Amino acid sequence: MTADTTPKARAPAEAGARRRSHPIAWLIWTRTALGVVTLFVVSILIFAATQLLPGNAATAVLGHNASASAVHTLELRLGLNKPALTQYWDWLSGVLRGRLGTSLANGQPVWTLVGPRLLNSLVLVALAGLIGTVLGVGLGMFAAIRRDKPADHALSVSTLAVTSLPEFVVAIFLVILFSTVLWHILPGVSPLESTSGAIEPWQDPTELVLPVAALVIVIVPYIFRMMRAATIEALESDYVEMARLNGLSPVRVLLRHALPNAIAPTIQVIGLNFLYLAGGIVLVEFVFDYPGIGQGLVNAVSDRDIPQIQFIVLVLAAFYVVMNIVTDVISLLATPRRRVAR
Amino acid sequence: MADDLHRALVGGPTAQEPTIGRRDFLRYSGMGAAVIGGAAVLTACGSSAPSSSTSPASAAAGKPKIGGTLRAGLTGGTGSDTLDAHQGVNNVDFARIISLYDPLIAFDLNAQNQLRLAESITPNSDATVWTVRLHPGVTFHNGKPLTAEDVIYTFTRIITNNYPAASSLASIEYKNLKALDALTVQIPCRSPYATLPDAMAGYNYYMGIVPVGYDPKNPVGTGPFKYRSFTPGEQSTFVRNDHYWDSSAGPYVDTLVITDYPDETSQVNAFVSGQADVVNLLSATSIPQVQAAGNILTAAGGGMTPFTMRVDQPPFTDARVRQAFRLICDRPQMQDLVFGGRGTIGNDIFSPFDPEFDHSIPQRTQDIPQAKSLLKAAGQEGLSIELVTADLAQGTIKVAEVFAQQAAAAGVTVNLRQVTVTEFYGSNYLKWVFAQDYWYYSKYLPQVAQATLPVSPFNETHWDDSAYNKLYSQAIATVDPVARTAIAHEMQQIDYSIGGYIIPYFPPTIDGYAKNVQGVAATKDGLSLGSYNFKAMWLA
Repeated sequence: MTADTTPKARAPAEAGARRRSHPIAWLIWTRTALGVVTLFVVSILIFAATQLLPGNAATAVLGHNASASAVHTLELRLGLNKPALTQYWDWLSGVLRGRLGTSLANGQPVWTLVGPRLLNSLVLVALAGLIGTVLGVGLGMFAAIRRDKPADHALSVSTLAVTSLPEFVVAIFLVILFSTVLWHILPGVSPLESTSGAIEPWQDPTELVLPVAALVIVIVPYIFRMMRAATIEALESDYVEMARLNGLSPVRVLLRHALPNAIAPTIQVIGLNFLYLAGGIVLVEFVFDYPGIGQGLVNAVSDRDIPQIQFIVLVLAAFYVVMNIVTDVISLLATPRRRVAR
Repeated sequence: MADDLHRALVGGPTAQEPTIGRRDFLRYSGMGAAVIGGAAVLTACGSSAPSSSTSPASAAAGKPKIGGTLRAGLTGGTGSDTLDAHQGVNNVDFARIISLYDPLIAFDLNAQNQLRLAESITPNSDATVWTVRLHPGVTFHNGKPLTAEDVIYTFTRIITNNYPAASSLASIEYKNLKALDALTVQIPCRSPYATLPDAMAGYNYYMGIVPVGYDPKNPVGTGPFKYRSFTPGEQSTFVRNDHYWDSSAGPYVDTLVITDYPDETSQVNAFVSGQADVVNLLSATSIPQVQAAGNILTAAGGGMTPFTMRVDQPPFTDARVRQAFRLICDRPQMQDLVFGGRGTIGNDIFSPFDPEFDHSIPQRTQDIPQAKSLLKAAGQEGLSIELVTADLAQGTIKVAEVFAQQAAAAGVTVNLRQVTVTEFYGSNYLKWVFAQDYWYYSKYLPQVAQATLPVSPFNETHWDDSAYNKLYSQAIATVDPVARTAIAHEMQQIDYSIGGYIIPYFPPTIDGYAKNVQGVAATKDGLSLGSYNFKAMWLA
């Protein structure tokens, strides 16, 4: 049950898999293939859904100016008068040739519009995910070793309370606390701007504090609760008892014997939380006016900007597919008995 | 001092509008919003300025300071934001357009025509040919001098591309536009068009003058600010135009940053946490929070958020039903509930600041018994009807709810159907039987051209009255303002007695500005922040 089992375990796996390749490679391979099919189906569904929405890009762009003749002029210019299938094919054939198309709302290339937003959102998700994971795992272990003591109770109750709060409530609460009412120490919105235009998120880290904090607060409870339960279970197991009786130090017992077994189920929860983050950023970005893809998606939908909607949704779907593969691979690596091909 | 005068003109009582009564004044000052009244009202009421409200009038008397960055946090923008001088849709577009470009003519603070790039605009005897003389010595941001050719290019661009202003310029024979000399343009019209300057002033934010060969990717105008950067739906930045032709007031700040906020909550958060210096289009509920961190600017503008009744669809084919619906409205209650009493009561006729507006028509008030008897006579007792509402402008959904309540008293069931803004302006726009809309202020006859003629692009009430149409043709062929006013009054009488609009009030625009921002003045055209007049603003 120590880290050096990994190379040993791989050898029999390779030897045992004569007809099939290594289970992990096999998993990655099949899942990726399925993922591509998923993305294709998603693109069809999204396109069909945008067709069902009332209004189109021309009426959305014109808004109050949407007189019959103005709508007609713009529909011609944007190619919205073509049949839906032709529009979809135009888009798909462009994407297959590496062209994402141009926005129906403002005529700029989709990549120019979404690229910077993608980076901003990635920074947000990565920071929140990392900090949330470290905090959740750490607090979970801490609560497990302090089981049924005041610290454990306080943590369990407070995380339970936070679980019942939607992310935008947490976000607004943070703003009230740190920006607008109680203290005025942090920016209440994060539009990532300077006098010369948009900036990268790391150029003004203070603007990242509250959005990241809101997301961290939302994901920590889940990771914490899973980690706490898994650690308690591991601490009650025979091998930990054995290790303890052998006189190993408590820290060593926890880190070398209990942790590796507690982390496997927690990884699935961490993965789920990363997936949640990909969707949860929409609301948090909205509250903070953070220029990420969540906000971009909201704008694109209200503008009926199909090329932009398609690209953002495909990026999110791809993120789901990749995250699922990554969590499965990691939890497979963390569970030696499942690594062997059967 | 100019600002003092402006504020006095805007806030002070005029012959054309009800004066601010003592009760209103107390309410305003109690909310610390006395700033809108300014020095003139305060003096008139014989009271001293409330100590809680900082009066910008006194501070603005100092010499404007050059420099700094003005950060405007605006709502209403979308991913389809544009810098194009002629394709603006939302008010953030207009904020940018007004900063980058100048029109020939616009509105002053009192919504009266004010020449801008034009030095004169004169008609021939029957208003079929207009001659525009341009202001000399104006240059574009790229250094090119403004000439008659640029005006011809601008008008041709608008008309041939069918941009929003095209409907106001439809009777111009654009192929025969002629430069008489470097600074003089001759505008021939197919038919008499006596209201051309009024239309150009009212829709000035669609008619910025651009140079020949204009490319919106490189947005060059003659405006007080020059383009620096732009991300649709997010933000745009501008720098001061040091060679601005009209140096009477600004531009003062070095940099202007306009940020789109998705909703009022994040916008107000930005203001309160000091990340925005000016904010627009607030609802009455945000006032205390904004006031705690800065000042409120309330403008009793002439923009409107009417209820629209399609006169060609039952039950509104019967004028008695339309009248009954107008009599259902308790207008002061609507105004109180939606805007805390700010704004002006409406009388179902648009364009209250136009000299051609008929102030002698009696104010309509709520009359439930009369409404009931009209409905009974029309055979529409116990009428049930759907009202389509959306978050089109400040207070539209709220006033729809209030109307539904008030209608119940007359036995009318109003079923609210709330849709998204995108759906509202989608394929059913201009087809809803009973709905709402919003309009910025425009003078009476140009508004008629946009909304209440069979050829109007936005005839949402499907109004088509032969007597009315004939009067309009007469009016736009009448150069003499007195004679034209008489005709307009006849048309307004028709609007008042059988029209398809319910105009319960003219909503106020409520904006916020930080304590160190000076030179902010209210306007009456329904646009925020003194019609987005960033050039007059400076940072103390």
